[in-house]
Amino acid sequence: MPKAPEIEPDWELVRKRNFVERLKHEKGGLEVIHDLPAMIAAGYEAVPEADMVRLQWYGLYHDKPKLGHFMMRVKVPGGRLTPHGLRTIGEIAQRHGRGHGELTTRQNLQLHWLEMARLPEVLATLEAAGLTTAGACGDNVRNITGCPVAGLDRDEAFDCRELVREAAGFFLRHREYSDLPRKHKITISACAHQCNAPEMHCIALLGTRRDGLPGFGVKVGGGLSSWPRLADDLGVFVPAAEAIEVLRAILDVWREDRRYRLSRARARLKFMVDDLGPRRFRERVEERLGRALADGAAPAAPADEYDHAGVHAQRQPGLAYAGFPVYLGLMNGEQMVRLADLAAEVSGWGGRQGSPEVEIRLTRRQNFILANLPAERVPAVVERVAAIGFPLAAGNLRRLAIACTGNPFCNYTVAETKGRLQQIVAHLESAFGEQAAALGELRLNLDGCPHACAHHWIGDIGLQGTTLRERGEAGERLQGYDLFLRGGLAGGAAIGQPVLRRVPGEVVHLAIERLCRAWLEGRQNGERIQQFFIRHSDDQLVDVAGVPAEVLTR
Amino acid sequence: MIHEPLPLLPRTAAIADAAGSAPPRRDFLDELEAGQLANDFDFATPEELLAWALGRWHPRLAICTSFQAEGMALFDMAWRIDPAVRLFTVDTGRLPQETYEIMEQVRERYGTVIEVHLPDAARLARLTTRFGPNLFRRSVEARLLCCSVRKVEPVRGALDSLDAWVTGLRRDQWASRANIRKIEIDHDHGGLAKISPLADWTAGEVWDYNRDHDVPVHPLYARGYTSIGCAPCTRPTGDGEDPRAGRWWWEKNAPKECGIHCPLETGGLEHDLEAMLPGGKG
Repeated sequence: MPKAPEIEPDWELVRKRNFVERLKHEKGGLEVIHDLPAMIAAGYEAVPEADMVRLQWYGLYHDKPKLGHFMMRVKVPGGRLTPHGLRTIGEIAQRHGRGHGELTTRQNLQLHWLEMARLPEVLATLEAAGLTTAGACGDNVRNITGCPVAGLDRDEAFDCRELVREAAGFFLRHREYSDLPRKHKITISACAHQCNAPEMHCIALLGTRRDGLPGFGVKVGGGLSSWPRLADDLGVFVPAAEAIEVLRAILDVWREDRRYRLSRARARLKFMVDDLGPRRFRERVEERLGRALADGAAPAAPADEYDHAGVHAQRQPGLAYAGFPVYLGLMNGEQMVRLADLAAEVSGWGGRQGSPEVEIRLTRRQNFILANLPAERVPAVVERVAAIGFPLAAGNLRRLAIACTGNPFCNYTVAETKGRLQQIVAHLESAFGEQAAALGELRLNLDGCPHACAHHWIGDIGLQGTTLRERGEAGERLQGYDLFLRGGLAGGAAIGQPVLRRVPGEVVHLAIERLCRAWLEGRQNGERIQQFFIRHSDDQLVDVAGVPAEVLTR
Repeated sequence: MIHEPLPLLPRTAAIADAAGSAPPRRDFLDELEAGQLANDFDFATPEELLAWALGRWHPRLAICTSFQAEGMALFDMAWRIDPAVRLFTVDTGRLPQETYEIMEQVRERYGTVIEVHLPDAARLARLTTRFGPNLFRRSVEARLLCCSVRKVEPVRGALDSLDAWVTGLRRDQWASRANIRKIEIDHDHGGLAKISPLADWTAGEVWDYNRDHDVPVHPLYARGYTSIGCAPCTRPTGDGEDPRAGRWWWEKNAPKECGIHCPLETGGLEHDLEAMLPGGKG
């Protein structure tokens, strides 16, 4: 097998082989903001594609078809939004984005339909509200995620909100860290449940205490997309005060090695960690740092995944938080504004003098949590939130099912995503009726392409859109889904396997129902569906799903 | 386990093998394998990757070409590895005469049978009867419809009998194409493997290869064309002119796609079709 070059290439070769390195060298992504007025004057048609790529540095992508509308991703570090912040985004959605809005699996908020001419005003409005899109896409440190109930939860090792804020601020528009080999994903949390998916991040800081001192275990080299990999434990303990220094050293080792800039297909940290192994990677980091790191270990993974849904008492006496499902991750501009108004109103309710403001916290399962609620008035808040369209008791399926942006917006998707997920969930709800509770915390993760924005590799049942070999009666192309089984996070951390391939779209909900029924009927000792899938062979599961073998391509 | 049969929609089976033989054996990659192979072969030379792909898939692999520089270089490389390598093209019915000339040259020079795929006669007749032969000038939607019937559908037809196809896509043809992998599953075309051995080559390297190996060159390049396609829809571009000006230059408000290489190979054309013409069919 041809191997990666032993000798580090010089910049000339890097720029010859890698168009985006060339493009960044000619003009950095961050610089594109200065050209925006000229681009607007010239019009979308005339803007070179290179500048379209640079706009990713400000969280902007072409929507589909490429006729001048943009998707805009707003970063929300740690998922924490103030009522004012959410209202600002909601108003932008209403004014400039046809009202559309969606929550992402990395605690961002995304709008669509934005026109280039509106961007200066929109970006300025966001900045004025303390929000930004800078670094939301492109070769940057992307939104730094964390536990959405940081600072509130009774079980967390310590409160690392300040560090998330500091790290997000440090890397924001930082010249050296805005020219990484590719996107880079960091998560920082001291959540006892590891709700932030540290296994699939480039760098994860996992909070723990040593002799009472707050600090972190470190995992590196996780990621999904078309080459999924679970992160490795670096085997160190980093005192909290040194966290940014260590993050920098890891990023320096990564960004300075030009081998991984030759090809964007290999320009993710996971490839380097995989090539070197965690021990040698740690040595490189220590070398860059100029000192050894203390030995340690990341805290053990909890048995199962957890998402802080429902109502819980906070650490702060008299306060509670409530996690609400957002079906399909869709929250429109009007809902954002109403939710923000409600949060602001509750913040002003009597008897809360001295209490912190109500916050809206976004979760990685595309849901939200209202924090700092007066405990005794939670039922009243829940009722008001339901009226906005987010009933607390929407059910586990709706709460846990996620799909990527997909149609009609995304240029990559080959199949319906949110629409298909809605159909699958509705079918399971009606097929199982009263029994639906028995499905427990069934996690459906549906993606429209291999990029895996909705993490199909690690769902209980992961779906990835594809097309069928056959065509419809009028010659039209037909959608299908590859089904990924046996994947998961936390105690069941594993990359799913494509067990059923090209299940026709019109029957995929039925195949999923059959898989679920087989599990409920054949489960042993209350096992989760992942265990059931692990216990059965591919052939058995194909048989269970009931899709004729001649239809599947395996 | 006994099940009720699933209510599958009526569908048209993928066409039979060119040889008309028994149901073809399929060798499809799954997503895990494709990811691993793309990583393993990312630094492979085009010849190394072609040799491997031919070994795995021939004769269920074919090179797709419109006789642009990339496709010709790939064919020359593959032919040196295995002269039986399959080459296919789509004759849209509106190709410039120069394309037929180079087809003849290739037949002579390599002794290769070029597999030519044509638009469906009935669909083409319906299209031109209803909208006229030059419908592509009417609107972007009409042009996409024309592309669909004359090009997209015949390519799909060609891919039906294959397990892998080879494309001339390069990462530096278009800024947002920089992330393509050399081995991918083509989810736009039923999930066969898509091999792009020239992904990390520059245009200069392709031309150097063709010169060094005396590979036939499409005559229109010498006349200033940067993109070879249908005669009425391509034209020469001037020095420093955006290569996109060489295709569908009269269009206003067309989806922004690469003008050099056919967005069909990236799936972009089909995504536009489905977004702008719901159903994506004529």
